[in-house]
Amino acid sequence: MEPSASPELLPGTLYLLILRTLRSGPLHGYAIAKRIKEASRDGLEIEDGSLYPALNRMLVKGWLASAWGVSENNRKARFYRLTPEGRAQLEKEAGEFDRLVRAIKLVMRTA
Amino acid sequence: MALWGEIVRRFTYLGRRSQFERELDDEVQFHIDSRADELEQEGVPRAEAILRARREFGSSLRAREETRSAWQFRWLEDLGSDLRYAARAFRRSPSFALTAICCLALGIGANTTIFSVAMEVLFSQPSCRDPRSLAQISIGGVDWIPMQQYRFLRDARVFDGIAGINVQMVTQWKDGDASYKLAATRLTEDFFQVTGVPLAMGRGLQKGDVDSTVLTDGFWRRRLGAQPNVIGRKLVLDGRLFTVVGVLPRGHRTLVGFGFMPDLFVLTDPGEVMMYARLPEGMSHQDARARLESLCQEMDRVYPDPNHKWARGISISGVGGMERLLHNGSGTSMMPVAAFFGMLMVVVGLVLLIACANVSSLLLARSFSRSHELAIRFALGGGRGRILRQLLAESLLLALCGTTGGLLLDVVLTRLISGLPLPMQWIEFVIQPDWRLLAYSAAIAVAVTLAVGLTPAVKGTRAGIAIALKKQDGRAGSRRWSLRNVLVVGQLAVSLVLLSGGLLFIRNLSHATSLNLGFDTAHTVWATFSEQPASCTPERFRELTRAALERFRALPGVDAASLARGVPTAMPIRFSGDVRADTSSHAARLTYNFNSVGLDYFHTMRIPILRGREFLETDSAGAPPVAILNENLARLLFGDADPVGHTVLLPKGEELRIAGVARNSKYSILWEEDALAIYRPYAQNTINDARFVSFVVRAQGSPDALVRALSKTLAALDPEAAVEIKTMRGALQPSLVPSRAGAVAFGAMSLLGLTLASIGLYGVLLYAVSRRIREIGIRVALGATPANVLSMVAGESARLVAVGAAIGLAVAVFAVRPLSMFLVPEVRASDPVNFLAVACGLALVAALATVAPTLRALRVDPAVALRHE
Repeated sequence: MEPSASPELLPGTLYLLILRTLRSGPLHGYAIAKRIKEASRDGLEIEDGSLYPALNRMLVKGWLASAWGVSENNRKARFYRLTPEGRAQLEKEAGEFDRLVRAIKLVMRTA
Repeated sequence: MALWGEIVRRFTYLGRRSQFERELDDEVQFHIDSRADELEQEGVPRAEAILRARREFGSSLRAREETRSAWQFRWLEDLGSDLRYAARAFRRSPSFALTAICCLALGIGANTTIFSVAMEVLFSQPSCRDPRSLAQISIGGVDWIPMQQYRFLRDARVFDGIAGINVQMVTQWKDGDASYKLAATRLTEDFFQVTGVPLAMGRGLQKGDVDSTVLTDGFWRRRLGAQPNVIGRKLVLDGRLFTVVGVLPRGHRTLVGFGFMPDLFVLTDPGEVMMYARLPEGMSHQDARARLESLCQEMDRVYPDPNHKWARGISISGVGGMERLLHNGSGTSMMPVAAFFGMLMVVVGLVLLIACANVSSLLLARSFSRSHELAIRFALGGGRGRILRQLLAESLLLALCGTTGGLLLDVVLTRLISGLPLPMQWIEFVIQPDWRLLAYSAAIAVAVTLAVGLTPAVKGTRAGIAIALKKQDGRAGSRRWSLRNVLVVGQLAVSLVLLSGGLLFIRNLSHATSLNLGFDTAHTVWATFSEQPASCTPERFRELTRAALERFRALPGVDAASLARGVPTAMPIRFSGDVRADTSSHAARLTYNFNSVGLDYFHTMRIPILRGREFLETDSAGAPPVAILNENLARLLFGDADPVGHTVLLPKGEELRIAGVARNSKYSILWEEDALAIYRPYAQNTINDARFVSFVVRAQGSPDALVRALSKTLAALDPEAAVEIKTMRGALQPSLVPSRAGAVAFGAMSLLGLTLASIGLYGVLLYAVSRRIREIGIRVALGATPANVLSMVAGESARLVAVGAAIGLAVAVFAVRPLSMFLVPEVRASDPVNFLAVACGLALVAALATVAPTLRALRVDPAVALRHE
């Protein structure tokens, strides 16, 4: 089952974005969504309803681990962090994504 | 690896689902709250902020559902909920569930128990290092190889060693005043090194351990009281001191297999051995065969024998499993034992089939009474596959419970069998549950699920919504009816077949127990007496024998005493060769029983002399040689003419004048028929340097008291002599084991089958009556007499039983035929009386099963019944 990502997102890129966002350290779900939105200067918006299924699928695959902690606004929140497997997956997917984008760009420019 | 981690994580999720749900709720709430906080900071009023945050999040229900599904094994959870639903349904009708589970547990328990025992007896692996590279080798068409040939093969070093064993040896153990006969397997020096048999204590026997012995666990426990410091203890075996150097572990299985377990192992010269070769790594059985063949050709050149070529009839077989079972080197095939277990497996399979039919029938009845529920589920859009799975889940649950119960039964029964003191000496079984049993049970559970559930599930889901909702049996009902009837008829037929077999075995046992052996078994005791050739001259032995006989005759309670070389059935002697009567010009090639017997032998054994005379004092060593024939041999050689005074020529050219004819009796085994026999006077014994003799003694009253007296008498004569004393009746017990085992196993199984089938009949009839209560009420109201009602219900039963019995009888006539290989000749498998008795028995039980449903039908009150829904 592939994530039902928002139409603006290429299929499968949601995992990549989440992995990349978590590279700098553990975050809770809301912060992940916000960070992606800000980093893309509002260009990418993740539908809130699809964020949590994606996070859980990644937990099942073992790319992420989660732990409960206290958020900056003093609420109990679940923080996600990268596992070594997740880091490896990020490198792999980032490389693949780069190749894909380069290829698409080439096609767009020349064809 | 990654997949494995994923499965583990999913399973952990399954274990803590409620916590997961709570945490997911918390997380979604946190997300919405955080967004609301942010909106509030942007100036949106709190209430509106929360609403907007919720809207932005979208359907939290869908998000949660998708999140959950990320973790789930879909089918597993569905199966779980199906099973939970089934369990709830069973809790609502516990009597149904209990009946079904008990039926299955009995059927499955019978199956797995026989399976466990058969696996242990037939296919168990011997306890040794790497059994797969060990192989039994036979050359020259025989298993037993003289030591000279053994040494030749061993010294050729083609294999990584050849171990030789001789399992047929007994030794006399003197423990204080008592003396016991032990099975002492004799080994070649390198046995323990080649086979790598593990020990519980001490070490194995090695080269040079002449007076050392290794004990088996059973001997150590039973006879030595499991002394912990047994290593170094001295045992007197055949008058020599042996030191215990090791003890085998509990649950040891010998290379010979089939439960054989001696008391101890020694390195005394085995004389001849069975050979077990350790194949070097990578050598296949084919390679080994080829190497062995060329080796044996060389051996035939070194030790030429015009009559025997070792290079012929070479066989290599594994030491466990099928290969050992099929190995048939010296004609001692284990196939009858295998056939017996094969037959038992068929029998328990049939019992399980009956049990399945019962449960299937119960489920069928249930699915009709639930047709309304099923129809509603259809109407609500339940797919047929989904409902089918639900119904199969019920039978799966039943099968699982039944299998668990059956396995418990198996463990209890096999433990009982393992601990049972077998009437056969030196046979021991270690039956433990293992993976084969588990695999077998799992297969049975699946098979039972399908056998039990498939028909009711398919039938139950086939009926259309419309018919089912009308909640009427209608036409569809009458068709389902016949299916249940078919099941009951089948059960009755199968149980009739089982009963026929069971009755045959029970009659067989009673025949074997009360079998007239042709001599007196009730009052006779036999004793064997032997001396070591090194310590006793033939003259002294003859003197001892004469003295023993004199003292026996003087004992109080002794009626008569005599001596002989062999003892019928306990120590038979058989010869084969050309035998000719002087009235005939050509010889007949015969196998006959032989015995040389002392004065008074026929009187002591109560074997009547029909013609001529007994042996007399005058038939001494120098007198003309005489013989007594049995009736069979006399008739074979001389026809109806009187043979007394004629002569008979034996294979070695001996001419014997016939002194008399003795009544036929049994000589070697209980079920022999038309056996031939020749007796000669003991005084004319051709073996003059024998140090072995048997005594037969007749007691005036019970023979048991004589055993001690005889033992004392012989011990007083020579305490070093090897002695074995048994009552004839006691000694016959081992030969009854096959009949007993058959009667117990077959009898129990057929009774179990009959019980299950009668429960099935009872259930079907009761169900029929309960569905026809309204009809019966109307009939009674319209003037039907109790006799009419009775004939209606009982007639139904009689019809089912008649059809079942007819089919069963037709099958049984053929099915029991192969059983005759296990029966004494007096019990014929095709005996019509047998079938008649079985059919009557079945009818009787069926009548009992009909009583309750009939009474219920008779008690129908029209006033109540017409309102009955």
